[in-house]
Amino acid sequence: MAEANHERLRRPQLGSGQIALEVAEPITEPSEQVRSSYRFSDPALSELSLDALLDELLNRTQAALSVDTVAILLHDEESQQLVARAAKGIEEEVERGVRIPVGRGFAGRIAGERVAIFIADVDHADVLNPLLREKGIRSLLGVPLIVEGKLIGVLHVGSLTPREFGTNDLAVLQLAAARAAPAIERASLAARLEHEHNVSIALQRSLLPKSLGEFPGLTVASRYLPAREEVGGDWYDVIELPRGRVGLVIGDVVGHGIAAAALMGRLRTSLHAYAIEGHGPGRTLELVDRFVQSLNEPAMATAAYAVFDTYTSKVQYATAGHLPPVVVSGSDARAFEVTPAPPLGAFPYGRCPEHEIPLESGDLLFLYTDGLVERRGIPLSDGIEALVEALRGATSVEDACRSAVADLVPIEGLRDDVAIVALQNNPVPRELHLHLPAEPKTLAQVRRILRRWLVERGADEGDVAEVTIAVSEACANAIEHAYPPAPADFQLDAWGTNGEITVAVRDTGQWRPPRGQNRGRGLSIIIAAMDDVQIDRMENGTEVLMRRRLRHR
Amino acid sequence: MSLADVQITLMPNALVAHVTGEVDMSNAEEMGATVIGATPNEAQGVVLDLSRVDYLDSAGIYVIYGMRSSLQARGQSLILVIPPDSPVHDALRLAGAEHPGEVTETVEDALRALDRLDPPAAI
Repeated sequence: MAEANHERLRRPQLGSGQIALEVAEPITEPSEQVRSSYRFSDPALSELSLDALLDELLNRTQAALSVDTVAILLHDEESQQLVARAAKGIEEEVERGVRIPVGRGFAGRIAGERVAIFIADVDHADVLNPLLREKGIRSLLGVPLIVEGKLIGVLHVGSLTPREFGTNDLAVLQLAAARAAPAIERASLAARLEHEHNVSIALQRSLLPKSLGEFPGLTVASRYLPAREEVGGDWYDVIELPRGRVGLVIGDVVGHGIAAAALMGRLRTSLHAYAIEGHGPGRTLELVDRFVQSLNEPAMATAAYAVFDTYTSKVQYATAGHLPPVVVSGSDARAFEVTPAPPLGAFPYGRCPEHEIPLESGDLLFLYTDGLVERRGIPLSDGIEALVEALRGATSVEDACRSAVADLVPIEGLRDDVAIVALQNNPVPRELHLHLPAEPKTLAQVRRILRRWLVERGADEGDVAEVTIAVSEACANAIEHAYPPAPADFQLDAWGTNGEITVAVRDTGQWRPPRGQNRGRGLSIIIAAMDDVQIDRMENGTEVLMRRRLRHR
Repeated sequence: MSLADVQITLMPNALVAHVTGEVDMSNAEEMGATVIGATPNEAQGVVLDLSRVDYLDSAGIYVIYGMRSSLQARGQSLILVIPPDSPVHDALRLAGAEHPGEVTETVEDALRALDRLDPPAAI
C-alpha cells in the first residue's frame, strides 16, 4: 500500500552517495543547475562553523528548490537512529529531538537502503514522523548523506502543496548533500576529539591533589602543565605521614590521553595507599611495581618517592627509572644522581634501593617529569643542566617553580605534559611566638612545630619526648579553659638560652581546678617533665611558664 | 590524615585493638568508645595494642582507666601491649600513674596472659 505510493529513485548507482533517478529526465534548465552548483561550492562556506554551515546550506537548498521545509538528520551509530540536527520550516523537528530508527519510515529507509526516496503524497505513506503530517507536508524528497561509503545522515525537503520532484530537484539536493556530508563528518570528528581532550583534562585535574596541605617546618609547591595537544599521565602527590614526616611523589605514565590519565590515577592511589601504611620509599615503590605487574596490561611508568623527616632534616629517596631530583642549597644547585631502579612494572627482582639526601635548613628539593627537560634534538643531560641553572639561587619553592617554568617551557607550548613538586626545609625560627586556636586538633600541630624547634635547639630524644608532652598538656589545659563555647585563642612562646629552654602558654579563660584523680595527671606530667613550672592564675587568664635544662648538654 | 587509627581483630575469646598514631584530647574518647563498643560480652577481655602509638597524653591515660573500669564492670580484663622503647611509657611515668591494667611487650604475650586468667565470673 504505502509501497505503491513511493516512487523509488533507484539506479543506476553512480557511486557512493550519488543516486540518480531511475528514469533520467532531460535537464531542462541547465542554467539553474549551474547556479545551484555554485551555491553549494561557494568557498565562503568553508569558513563557517558546523552550525552556521548547516544553517546556510539549508537556506540555500530551500531557496534553490523553492521548498517549504528542509531538514538534516544525523546517523547515531550506537543507537542506529537518525537524530534531527538542523531544519527550516519544521524547526520543531530539532527542538523535539526527533529520532527515527534506521530502516523504518521515510528518512529511516533512505538511510537504511542508501537510496533517494520521493513521496508524492505524504498522507498515505508510512511516514513515522508525526511532525511531517502535523505540518501538512504533502510531498517529500530525501537523499542519504554519505562520506567515503559511510552513512552519516539524511537530507530531505518537503512541500506543503503536492509536488512532483524531478531529476533537477534531485541533482540539486544531491549537490547540497555532497557539500554538507564531509563538513559534518569533519566537524563531528573535531568535536569528538575536543570532547576526549576535555574529558582527559577534567580527569587529570580530578586525579591530582586539590590542595597540598600545610606542614610545620616545610613548604611545598607544585605545578601541572598540560601539553599543547594531549593530556598525559604525569602526576605529583604530597602525603602527610606520622612523626613529622612528609612524602613527596612525582610520576609519569608513558603515553597520552584518557588511558594514560586513568592509569596515572590508579598508580597515584596505590602509591599513596602504600605510603600511608608506613612503608619507606623503597618498599613503597616495590609494592607499586608489584601492583603494576598484577594489572596484566601494558603499563610503563616512572616514579620517585621522597620522604622528608622534619625532625632530622633528611630525605629518604627512591626512584623507579625517574629523572634525578635537583637539590638547591644556598647559591648552589645540583642534580642528585643515583642509579635508579628500573621503571615501575619492570623490577627484575622486586628491589628498589633507598638513598639519603641531607636537606639543610633552607634547602630545596625539586622533583619534575621529563616534559620539563626533554627537547627534540637536545641531549637529556643538557636539559637537566639547564634546569639546574634555572634553579640556582632559588629562595623559595614558588620561586623555584616560577624560574623552572619561565626558563624551560618553550613559548610555543609543551609537547609533553609536565608535573613539578618542590619542598623547602624551612629555617626554624630561634624563638616561637604562636597564636593558636583553642581547639583540640591544634595539639597535634603544636607538637609537630615544637619537636622540630627542640631538635634545632639541640634537644635529644628524651628531651623532645618529655618537653613535648608537658607543653601539649599545658596547651590542652588552655583549650579546656576556653570552653565553653565561643571560639578562643591561646598564645605559645618558646625561647632558649645556654642549653635551657623556656615555654610559656597563656590563655584568656578561667582556670578550672582539675577534676578527679585522672584529670589532675596533666598537671603532674607538666611538673614531672620540666625542671621549673610556674602557674599564674590571673583575672583574665592563666599562664603556665615551664623551664627545662636540656639533658645532654 | 587522621591523628590515630584503631584496627580491631576479634579472636575466639578476646578483642585485639591495634592503635596507630597519636592519642590526645582530640581523639582519646573516640578511641575508648570504639574499642568498648566493639567488645562482645562473651570475650574474656581486651588487648589494647599500643605498640604503634607515637604519643599518648593524660587524656589518653584517663580514657584507658575508663576502659578498664567499664570492662571490669562486665567481668572482663584489659591488657596493654607496650614495648620497652614506647613513648607511652614516658607518659605513664611522668603522670606517676600505676599501669592501668596488666602490661605485656607483645600481642602474643597478652593473649597468653588472658588465657591464664579465670573466665569471666558469672554475674
